[in-house]
Amino acid sequence: MSLPRFAVLLASLGFSALTLAASPAPLNPAPATKYPLTLDNCGVPLTFDKAPGKAVTIGQSATEILYSLGLADKLVGTSLWFNNVLPQFQEQNARVPRLADNDPSFEAVINKRPDLVAVQFEWMVGPQGVVGTRQQFSELKIPTYLMPSDCEGKDNLVGADGTRLRPFSVDSLYKTVDQLAQIFDVQARGAELTADLRSRLAKAQASVKDKQLKDASVLFWFSSADLQVDPYVAGRKGVPALMASTLGLRNIVESDEEWPTVGWETIAKANPTILVLARMDRRRFPADDFQKKLEFLKADPVTKNMDAVKHNRIVILDAQAMEATIRTFDGIEELANAVDHFDLHK
Amino acid sequence: MTAVFAGRLLRKISLHTAWVLAVLLAAIIAGIAIGETPISLSLVFQVLANKLWGAGFVLDPIDEGIVWNYRLTRALVAAACGAGLAISGVVLQSLLRNPLADPYLLGISAGASTGAVLVAIIGIGAGAISLSAGAFAGAVAAFALVALLARSTGAVSGSGQIILAGIAGSQLFNALTSFLITKSANSEQARGIMFWLLGNLSGVRWQSVTLAVPVVLIGLAVCLWHRRSLDAFMFGSDSAAALGVPVRRVQAILIATVALVTAVMVSLVGSIGFVGLVVPHAARLLVGVRHGRLIPVSALAGAIFLIAADVLSRTAIKGQVLPVGVITALIGAPVFAVILIKAKGGR
Repeated sequence: MSLPRFAVLLASLGFSALTLAASPAPLNPAPATKYPLTLDNCGVPLTFDKAPGKAVTIGQSATEILYSLGLADKLVGTSLWFNNVLPQFQEQNARVPRLADNDPSFEAVINKRPDLVAVQFEWMVGPQGVVGTRQQFSELKIPTYLMPSDCEGKDNLVGADGTRLRPFSVDSLYKTVDQLAQIFDVQARGAELTADLRSRLAKAQASVKDKQLKDASVLFWFSSADLQVDPYVAGRKGVPALMASTLGLRNIVESDEEWPTVGWETIAKANPTILVLARMDRRRFPADDFQKKLEFLKADPVTKNMDAVKHNRIVILDAQAMEATIRTFDGIEELANAVDHFDLHK
Repeated sequence: MTAVFAGRLLRKISLHTAWVLAVLLAAIIAGIAIGETPISLSLVFQVLANKLWGAGFVLDPIDEGIVWNYRLTRALVAAACGAGLAISGVVLQSLLRNPLADPYLLGISAGASTGAVLVAIIGIGAGAISLSAGAFAGAVAAFALVALLARSTGAVSGSGQIILAGIAGSQLFNALTSFLITKSANSEQARGIMFWLLGNLSGVRWQSVTLAVPVVLIGLAVCLWHRRSLDAFMFGSDSAAALGVPVRRVQAILIATVALVTAVMVSLVGSIGFVGLVVPHAARLLVGVRHGRLIPVSALAGAIFLIAADVLSRTAIKGQVLPVGVITALIGAPVFAVILIKAKGGR
């Protein structure tokens, strides 16, 4: 890591500590944002003279967080969708134009004359941004907010989906909510949301405590390029790893990459207690369909002998819950619920 | 007189067959014994005894499955694939009198990529068709186009036309692939394709073995049957014709065989580079240019080389599997350099 980058990292850490210290207890009324507001976002300083009136999102997670903050009427465009919007936001979402299902073009975004572009993944607007670089946007006086979950403690130039330098922390999601709430001057709503998410996490954690898990392990299978080849699974520092560690489960994968490929041989030998399969709408590889994943696990001469398959300790989970989104909390709850019902002593 | 001669020939062949099989068997067992996770050699033999002779050792079903269904199949397909690519290289280099000819010259690898991309990114078949099936269809289509092009330019004597047609076909299909990828893929999807294109043996199971092994044996038999013609071709197709070789027919048969073998291998494991280009040269430096010896030795060398490369690809970095195509080039290039230098010193 280069020195300036490290300095920025330190600065942003310091900043997050400050915001944490300064963020009000949920019961106190949240203060209004004082403009001009300056904050550091993934090494890029952002300044706002007033709350953005129009925003475009790149990435479903950013979109759904803004909806959760009640900011649907500020959105003038969304893009990069992975599956249907959460049911509670269907109505709002129908009123917002969708610029593209996948990545939007640079012009489609700037054509909306946004005061802010909120982005889920660095590969969309990073130095090799698919849409455009943050520099390009800032030349047009359009600030880009990149979700800290995809830049802090993560090197997106190593590995296909990036590599985590530090384990993903749920705090980066709270931070996203807090910062967006601050930018849009809806801090009371933000505080309410994070308080709710925190209490849901604590509840899920408490529910599995009684099970007194002893070295229960887990594997998260996202998809595979072909049904029998080495699958894409969750690395040991990504979002699924956080879900696992929150519930006292050990992720058997030992790679720092976000979604490394690991051989079935290694997986079968590690013999995880629980298998989590991603459910998604995408249908590009046969293994995108969780039914196909299940069929493979039960038919393959090796995987069918794994404990999780034999005792049917398999959880089907929304693929988006395995990314840094508000759905992560749904995922943790569902996983906790499943763990609660499994007999782990077989 | 003839009986004595035939007997001597038979003995000679069986002697060679014996040591070739022994070396191949050793390589395959090494391929089974070394892998991502430690499995002892005795366990490997116990599994083989169980499966082949019903020895009845009580073993962990996961260990047994890994050895029998993952590693053995993988070693067998690696061997078949290495052998197939190597003999394809020998045949093309001789037929076209071009030392740079390799099995992918006929547009097969480029076509396979296009087919795979069509399936994976555009979603033809909506998940019902596997990458392999798409790749095979693409490979055959590309080869058909190249063959048609070469034919319509009237390639009577010319290896030149085939090479040029192959280049044109490859360029066309590579451009198609790039077009499809840039038009519609996000990086996550492109990754799936790259992973597969660089060569990957992890999806190999018994059904791949039942395809790869017969195909390579048939290919080997066809090439050996034409070994004399291949010897003649080295002096050019005119000389071959003067020596009584039915040039066009033999050319057509051999090229079609090579194309089919390569297309099957590419569709099973992706385009593994280097083997088809370099193993034939290495074998030529070792045993000379007569195809009666060159073809079996190339096949054996290719088989062993790819088994070794696959083992390395699984063990070089712990907990992660590298594309085998990267390994073939990384270890293949220096090994070939050493052979080249030694051959020069020997003269």
